[in-house]
Amino acid sequence: MTKRRMMGVLLLALGLPVTGAWAVQKDGKLYVKARNTRVLKSPLPTADVVAVLQPGQQVTWKGADPKNKQWHQVTEPGGKPGYVFQTNLSTKPPNMELVAKDGGTRAIDPAAFVSSGAAVKALSPGAEKYGNEKGGTSAKAVKQIKALEDLANKVTPEQIAEHVRQAGLFPVVAPNTTVGPQKVAAGKSTKGAK
Amino acid sequence: MRSLVKVLASVGVGLCLTSCAQVTKGLKAAKLGGVADDVVAVSEKFQKCDKLGTPPAVTEEYALGSALAIRWVQQGGGLMLSGASEQQLNTYVNTVGRNLAMQSPRPTLRWTFGVLEDARNFNAVSAPGGYVFVTRKLLQGVENEGQLAGVLAHEIAHIALKHALSQYATVKVRECKGDAFVSTATERLRSASNSNGLLDLDADTELLGTLADSTIEELRKGNSKDQELAADRLAVELMLSAGYDPEAYRQLLDKMPEGDGGAVNHPKKKERMDEITAFLNKLKDSGDAFVALSPDSLHNPALPASFSVVKATGVAKDTK
Repeated sequence: MTKRRMMGVLLLALGLPVTGAWAVQKDGKLYVKARNTRVLKSPLPTADVVAVLQPGQQVTWKGADPKNKQWHQVTEPGGKPGYVFQTNLSTKPPNMELVAKDGGTRAIDPAAFVSSGAAVKALSPGAEKYGNEKGGTSAKAVKQIKALEDLANKVTPEQIAEHVRQAGLFPVVAPNTTVGPQKVAAGKSTKGAK
Repeated sequence: MRSLVKVLASVGVGLCLTSCAQVTKGLKAAKLGGVADDVVAVSEKFQKCDKLGTPPAVTEEYALGSALAIRWVQQGGGLMLSGASEQQLNTYVNTVGRNLAMQSPRPTLRWTFGVLEDARNFNAVSAPGGYVFVTRKLLQGVENEGQLAGVLAHEIAHIALKHALSQYATVKVRECKGDAFVSTATERLRSASNSNGLLDLDADTELLGTLADSTIEELRKGNSKDQELAADRLAVELMLSAGYDPEAYRQLLDKMPEGDGGAVNHPKKKERMDEITAFLNKLKDSGDAFVALSPDSLHNPALPASFSVVKATGVAKDTK
């Protein structure tokens, strides 16, 4: 038996709480930890979307699906039942701090997360000045980091979801999506979501 | 007399380790005057400086993190960003890294992942605010995406757990409590300690530079053993959350040269590998029914073709 398979068997047999999210009782509350978390009508990655949730929103846990324990039955904040992929959930709330567009710092309403300025990346103005004035190669480093940030910002949740699908990883980070039937992508299906 | 003040001040400070406020209150109430007043003044200054040990606002974190990122990029010989193939590599590293970071306890940070030109040191570094850098040398030793995910997850964990910010807080308090002949930075820190202890580093580039320089000196020594092991545990959790087999991370740790990067505080890699095994055993023994993975779920995908650029040894680049 390979190490990989052996570990998988151990996790399955003993119910590993992989997310560091420890004990939860039926009807207990769990937090959504990844953006665009989809609540689906049935425990299949291609099922209709009942609701789209953001980090920090809470669902009521009803238990794992008996046939596929990677999918968990929940009730979303609006009261609709559905299924969420296991590692989208945690017993611990995520830290929701960010810098708002007006420059202030505040914890953000989870539901407003997607429309916030969270994805806007810029080297801090003070650090940019510091780098440009420090001499040596620091001005070059400033320029490179800004170029890197531009590149990083082009990596969207859609691209991540597509990479995850092709690589056979878990479909935790989902693209922006709407409630209703999903567009099913062609090609290899997500291994972890079978 | 001056030395007596110093001795008494030291005694007062020493007592502060247990009950600074009480000592100060007692001395003030006694109204001894003279040297005792000097001790009270030192003690009060120290108490105010302790305010700087509070966690910084996220704007302060971004300013510090950005300045540290500049330093890491400088020290790493610049970023691999020239040409389409190197940019493609960075896009891939950001895809893997952001997928993990969005599942971390700090999903709203502005995460940025980059590859340093450094082809000599097998190393990865991070800075507050969501900056993660890996060296070309490290990537040359990576055999699959699971190993890359492991090292990125470890650095994400340091940021999520605010380890560098803890060292930064220590630096701030230490600078604030500095000698009588103080620097401009110390004066500014003391001024901040009179209010809420939070700093607007974007408005004070000189102070930002001083604090970044002092913090990076601390970071060069490496995180403490406890911090390093905590980052390994969270890295394993992030890998499992995303669907990677943590065994890949153990394999990468095994390849890591002992003591590379000069981090004197780092635990030995065998200890880290043993701790990861123990952590996995602890998880499996918890018997929680919330999560169960199927045997074939965990997966370490192959690296894309674009990854081969890390092994390219073409024209030497100017890394100065």
